[in-house]
Amino acid sequence: MTTTIEQMRNIGISAHIDSGKTTLTERILFYSGKIHRIHEVKGKDGVGATMDHMDLERERGITITSAATHVEWGGCSINIIDTPGHVDFTIEVERSLRVLDGAVLVLCSVGGVQSQTITVDRQLRRYNVPRIAFINKCDRVGANPLKVRDQLEEKLKHNSVLMQIPIGLEDQHKGVVDLVEMKAVYFDGRDGEDIRVEEIPEELRAEASQRRNDLLDAASMFSDELTEAILEDRITSDLIHEGVRRGTIARKLTPVFMGSAYKNKGVQTMLDGIVRYLPNPAEVENVAIDLDAEEEADQNVVLTMDPNAPAVLLAFKLEDGPYGQLTYIRIYQGRVEKGTELVNSRSRQKTKVGRLIRMHADHMEDISSADSGDIAALFGIDCASGDTFTAPELNYSMTSIYVPEPVISLAIKPSDKKALDRMAKALNRFTKEDPTFRTFVDHESHETIIQGMGELHLDVYVERMKREYDAEVETGKPQVAYREAITQKAEFDYTHKKQTGGAGQYGRVIGYVEPLAEGVYEFVDEVRGGRIPREFIPSCDKGFKAVVKKGDLIGFPVTGVRIVLTDGQYHDVDSSDNAFQAAARGAFRQVYRKAKPQILEPVMKVSVEGPTEFAGAVFGSINQRRGIIVSSVEDGNFSRVDAEVPLSEMFGYSMQLRSLTQGKAEFTMEFLKYGRVPAAVAEELQKQHLEKKAAEAK
Amino acid sequence: MVKTHLIKRSPLRVLEEATHGGPGRGALAVLASPKGVGKTACLVHIATDKLFQSKPVIHVSYASRVDYIITWYEDIFKEIAKNRRLRDAVAVHDEIIKNRVIMNFNQDGMKTEQVLRSLEAMITGGKFNADAIIVDGYNFGLAEPSDLAKFKAFALRMNLELWFSASLKENGTPLYGPNGTPVLLAPHMGEIDVLITLQAKGDVVEIRVVKDHGHPAAGILPLKLDPKTLLIASEK
Repeated sequence: MTTTIEQMRNIGISAHIDSGKTTLTERILFYSGKIHRIHEVKGKDGVGATMDHMDLERERGITITSAATHVEWGGCSINIIDTPGHVDFTIEVERSLRVLDGAVLVLCSVGGVQSQTITVDRQLRRYNVPRIAFINKCDRVGANPLKVRDQLEEKLKHNSVLMQIPIGLEDQHKGVVDLVEMKAVYFDGRDGEDIRVEEIPEELRAEASQRRNDLLDAASMFSDELTEAILEDRITSDLIHEGVRRGTIARKLTPVFMGSAYKNKGVQTMLDGIVRYLPNPAEVENVAIDLDAEEEADQNVVLTMDPNAPAVLLAFKLEDGPYGQLTYIRIYQGRVEKGTELVNSRSRQKTKVGRLIRMHADHMEDISSADSGDIAALFGIDCASGDTFTAPELNYSMTSIYVPEPVISLAIKPSDKKALDRMAKALNRFTKEDPTFRTFVDHESHETIIQGMGELHLDVYVERMKREYDAEVETGKPQVAYREAITQKAEFDYTHKKQTGGAGQYGRVIGYVEPLAEGVYEFVDEVRGGRIPREFIPSCDKGFKAVVKKGDLIGFPVTGVRIVLTDGQYHDVDSSDNAFQAAARGAFRQVYRKAKPQILEPVMKVSVEGPTEFAGAVFGSINQRRGIIVSSVEDGNFSRVDAEVPLSEMFGYSMQLRSLTQGKAEFTMEFLKYGRVPAAVAEELQKQHLEKKAAEAK
Repeated sequence: MVKTHLIKRSPLRVLEEATHGGPGRGALAVLASPKGVGKTACLVHIATDKLFQSKPVIHVSYASRVDYIITWYEDIFKEIAKNRRLRDAVAVHDEIIKNRVIMNFNQDGMKTEQVLRSLEAMITGGKFNADAIIVDGYNFGLAEPSDLAKFKAFALRMNLELWFSASLKENGTPLYGPNGTPVLLAPHMGEIDVLITLQAKGDVVEIRVVKDHGHPAAGILPLKLDPKTLLIASEK
């Protein structure tokens, strides 16, 4: 099928975990003819949903990696980017969002808007993604899509409008009333594939006509033609669609669909909604940074959809397939064909497009070219995810995706020699795929350390090593990424002198250190009159930089420090690069304690939601973990507690919460800030650090 | 200025003196005024003053959203810090907010018993040893005298101070009775230990003690509400 840009959609399906996102995706693939059988997420048939292509995801019933898959519906070509629902993997979510033009926000008609929904919605907002809502699970006991719609307004501040109302709920859920056509839509056949359109049942007519008026009101806000048509009583469906479409693309209106993916209700009508209301790639402005621009004001370049313009594309996802590295790309400008020459704007490495692929959920299709706006995949390209590729004449970069610093680390040890090689291979791959996942070898303990955004994040990678690379590793205890920071200004005056026969070493540095409110490290050279020769100033900087990597308190990096060098002394013969580096290191060690250093720890923003009856238990559990309760909100029988809790205290919280609340409460957490460690804890950490050092010295 | 001076010189000390040491533990105080005069600001100022003294406070809100209330606290703190040139403002701020919890209830269908149960859960379960509870947005029009009696009993049992705000609605009838008691609160006076009203008189807002435990009330205080900062200030 040849598609024009108007017929293209790049969408994501964003949702709270367990709101049925994977089931919904599965149904979309089924109805669009991509797959021929329906499997369930927690597959009783042992197959699992098609989008969950990793064993691990299959086992846990969750989707971790975002794969792009291509479907066709209503004459449109839709790329679906399956985004993970767990907050620990937000980098994956954020990276997928970057390449979306629109999204379906899936909500559970029983649970409604929950804290993860709020997180996901906030991310969509950050990347200006227009969205439609799908209220799923209308077949469940307690389903109340109208209440969920109210929550969209109250909790997410969406200006939402019902496109449908349900025909029956819970086990009586039969279909939906389409408020544009004013018809009842039923989904017949074994898998709901036969759509039957009938008159609206008598008992729903009054409500439907009232809701349709609301819809007309909402849509006419965005279309004068519709307003006129309403006044002149010549409303057409197309006019309504156009109004809703404009409101949606302007991100001022959220059309609401509903149904039950599990019971095969309402999925096709929602697909119609995707095609009708979400933007095509030409309707979204995309901006790149021109790296050659000298003035900051000229840096932002708006990309054009012209297929003849020089190509600009973003590698947003890497995957290891049986045939080597597969790189998912989104084309923002120009056309990519076999043989197109591209430059990686980060490494400036040139490369030629070999195989170009379109990904379906279970197979890949070779294609000869792909145009701006489309999503495809390349084979045999060496890059990291997040890299931009351009035609050789350009030097653009797509705006960098915000990458948070890892907050937790874990020592891993391969179980044998074979596992060692495999582990190295796996780590190399993972760090390329996921910028929030890092690894290094600790020089003192010779251990391999992996770092990430949460316990589960690291767990998943350890599991993947085992499954995908057959690398068994033993893990240590998760370790929180502490920091050290000084709290006051202090002066140093340090002379490094060594006379041991042969060339001596001499360097003297004078200056002060002070806390830096923003930033990690700053070195200021205020030495006048050549008291330290020019060539040795970088040596001092280097020495300081090296020494702040490990603070004296517990051996964690010192952050937020400004070092000002004001004076010094040198020796014609004995001064050297090394001597000044050593002087800088010595000076910092001398001054550090005087600057009243303290230990900082990552503090997480934790939200716990559940029935009110467990509020006391939840308050207690947070208090026990050195947490501060910021607020609690009670609405009927439902309560939400927001708290700030040190990450080091959060280990095992999901288990504790489950047992305290009989599994009825859940929590989310994300990194909030670095906070000061209380004195008693600081003492304990220092004690442990000394013991560790002593043990290593033996 | 350092924190201790700030506490000592707070205009709220005038309010305390005028009410025989303030409401005190086990007592119930009400701050009443028509809408938009500055009740919430006053309550937040009173709460912040307690936080400065390292006294834990629970702020209960029936109407406003949590982030809105947090903004109130941030604004009032900033004004105090600026006004009084507080030293180490950031550190003081981080220290005091640890003693503040905001609890939000949806009053429709939220029974007094349930609110009190949740408050008790916070105090005992959450080991949050509150010195005072501030209740903002409580609808006295819907409340029965027995509801307020339950709050009062709770204050006595938990040994803490309770502050309510009461919004007086203008509907043609006089707001205040002959002795300055708001008509809305007349049925509840048995439970109220200290009653203070705010009344806009031209550009200034008068602060008046209408009831002071069993003592004769002090009447109009030498305090005003600064219309710019909404802080309680001495009248000099």
